[in-house]
Amino acid sequence: MRTIKKNAMFYIMMVPIVVYFVIFAYYPLVKGLQTSFQDYKLMGDRPYIGFDNYDLVIHDPSFWDALWNTLYIGGGILIVGFIAPLLIALSLNEVMKSWFKKTAQMLLYVPHLLSWVVIGGICIFLLSPDTGLVNMLLMKIFGMNPINFMADESWARSVMIGSAVWKDMGYNCILFLAGIAAINPSLYEAARMDGATRWEQVRYVTLPQLMNTMKVIFLLNTLGIFRIFDQIFVMRNPAIASKVDVLMMYTFQKGIMEIRFGPAAAASFFVVLFTLLLTVMVRKITRFDEV
Amino acid sequence: MNMQKNAVIAMILAGTTLLSACGTNNSGVANNSPAPSAITSGTEASADGGKLEILSGNVGGKTPEGNAEFEKELSKKTGLDVKLDKPASDFDQKVLTALSSGAKYDLIEVSDLAKLDAFIKQGVVTDLSDFVQNSKVLSDPAVIPTGEWDQVKGPDGKIYGVFSKFQGATMPIVRKDWLEKLNLQEPKTLDELYTVLKAFKEGDPDGDGKANTYGLSTSGLYDIQGIMSAAGLKYRYVMQDGKRTIPYATDAAIPMYEWFAKLVKEGIMDPNFITNDTAKMRNLFLTDRVGMVTYWDAWVGMFNNLKKTEDPNTTFQAEGMLSIQAEDGTILMRRGDPDFWIIPANAPHPEAAKKFLEFWNTQEGITLGSLGVQDYDYTLENGTYSLTETGKIANMDHGVPYWYNSTVKSPFPALPGVEDAMALSKQHATLELSLSTWPDAEKIVTNYALKAMSGQMAAKDAVAKMQKELKSANLIDE
Repeated sequence: MRTIKKNAMFYIMMVPIVVYFVIFAYYPLVKGLQTSFQDYKLMGDRPYIGFDNYDLVIHDPSFWDALWNTLYIGGGILIVGFIAPLLIALSLNEVMKSWFKKTAQMLLYVPHLLSWVVIGGICIFLLSPDTGLVNMLLMKIFGMNPINFMADESWARSVMIGSAVWKDMGYNCILFLAGIAAINPSLYEAARMDGATRWEQVRYVTLPQLMNTMKVIFLLNTLGIFRIFDQIFVMRNPAIASKVDVLMMYTFQKGIMEIRFGPAAAASFFVVLFTLLLTVMVRKITRFDEV
Repeated sequence: MNMQKNAVIAMILAGTTLLSACGTNNSGVANNSPAPSAITSGTEASADGGKLEILSGNVGGKTPEGNAEFEKELSKKTGLDVKLDKPASDFDQKVLTALSSGAKYDLIEVSDLAKLDAFIKQGVVTDLSDFVQNSKVLSDPAVIPTGEWDQVKGPDGKIYGVFSKFQGATMPIVRKDWLEKLNLQEPKTLDELYTVLKAFKEGDPDGDGKANTYGLSTSGLYDIQGIMSAAGLKYRYVMQDGKRTIPYATDAAIPMYEWFAKLVKEGIMDPNFITNDTAKMRNLFLTDRVGMVTYWDAWVGMFNNLKKTEDPNTTFQAEGMLSIQAEDGTILMRRGDPDFWIIPANAPHPEAAKKFLEFWNTQEGITLGSLGVQDYDYTLENGTYSLTETGKIANMDHGVPYWYNSTVKSPFPALPGVEDAMALSKQHATLELSLSTWPDAEKIVTNYALKAMSGQMAAKDAVAKMQKELKSANLIDE
């Protein structure tokens, strides 16, 4: 009690945040849970129907297709989106010319500031089979036939992964660079005195010292796997939908397009469950608690 | 210290009050949503209170300022205190959010019959049968032809909507000036169509000396109805002997998909047709990149008008074309889902809404919905109408570019080509049968149809896959 009294001002300062989360996060969550057990109609009675909505969702093949697509695309974004910015951050760390480093960082960061509507438009423009820059280069340099990247199933997931990695590369790269900048310079000095080469300094000093930053970034990116939506909504089309429709898209279609809020709420709680499971797994594997 | 303690208690109380207020509001919505029949009978007896709240997707001004003027004019003309909510985007989501959160509107604009079906099932809409039948305005066949009401009837035969405008049909729209330049006739058969499209690709119809034109561009599968007509194939469902069939997923569709694949392979068809949105398709047509698109009849006039406004000496001439005739003489054209108003079951002022619905189909209402607001969108001097600059931008469309009421004539001549195009629509266009299973079926049909058309998959295999998946998901009967 004494501690509470002592820190009363801090508790008061927390109240708006707590209220915010209760109203805009936890209350909708509870309402969503309630909806998932109801035969939810826009108006009138909304009787409780037990686990019928969950049963409907788990027996829907398109739900499992969407889960597989989510794991494929999300997993791709997670892995490539982790390794690529790490490599770039390590490379930029070796650059001595400050202007080049800053320019590269800025150029890498710009796509992160753009919305998916803009990125989707850029992708459609760049990857167009007739006037797109990518196909023009492929034809001029390699004499290849044009590829319809945005409408060909075999390319669909790669395009989604590539564009997502490109968009967020700069952001993750800056986080890695901040981690690298925080490494104690005396460690490099000691390594150099021991005769370590540049590669050995990276291998035995930078990477081990960056491990905690890497764990945090990996975990944060893992939390986003099941939340992919904007990108797919903007870039999908009927020809590739079966390969790129993710769980949030499934939820959107059930809820907004088909006006079936019960199954949509049930599907969204599967998303919550999967995210929870994946996060626990990643925490265990990366020994996150030791950070 | 006491002050701190009091402050903490006050904050907690405020937070609790806030939360309980939210809870009360929401539970109140749920509890205050009685069965539709109860609401309907209750509101019929109540006074309208002189207020009217409208949630609109198309009806209204083109800008926030224009919408404010429109709202003011609507209040003046109807004698009601009108609030017109016209979201700039995501209208469907706004409608669902409004309905599920208990927000109350007297009228909501809807343009999707599948949504109407869902709304009927979920008790959202008011039965308007008696109102329509007893209304002197709406029951007049000159105002709305009697047969048209079937479109907005539910499975129970009751009327649940009132049209907000006349909805036309989609059709192949061709560059008439290119046809003339290349000495070609309007195609009547699939072979003739191929010849024309190939000539558009190879004959340099734009005269710039470059091979930079396409014969055909589309956006979405439903747009190809005018060409699929050649095999007598109707889009969406067709009931045959009480069984659900999807003509686009039958063996008869195989040669048609092969025909499209041939166009794609030979570079005659715009290769971006899968990713095109309608705006991109329209731009290709307007910028001399493509000689034929499949789109709404109303756009024949708008295409011509846009080019004429841009350059009064333009040779550009768009013309609506009849669908390609099948061997048995069948001509299939796609009638679009109508745009219509519904009165939600929880509407606070249903009588005001009904007053509006009658007004909207009169001369005054149609003038407002088409030309817009007097002295803002148009002026009227000595019986002569003139569009202002704002009115020209609005293009005589404030939600009602075309209307049913045959007694109301536009003060301006029709846009070039549109009357001929609409005459074709009225003669041949029919509504599609959209069953509740269509959204699931559509995913399968479009997926494989687009693969077959683009040549990613053999048409025979694509149709076989369609049939297999549709049957296994119980989406067709045969």
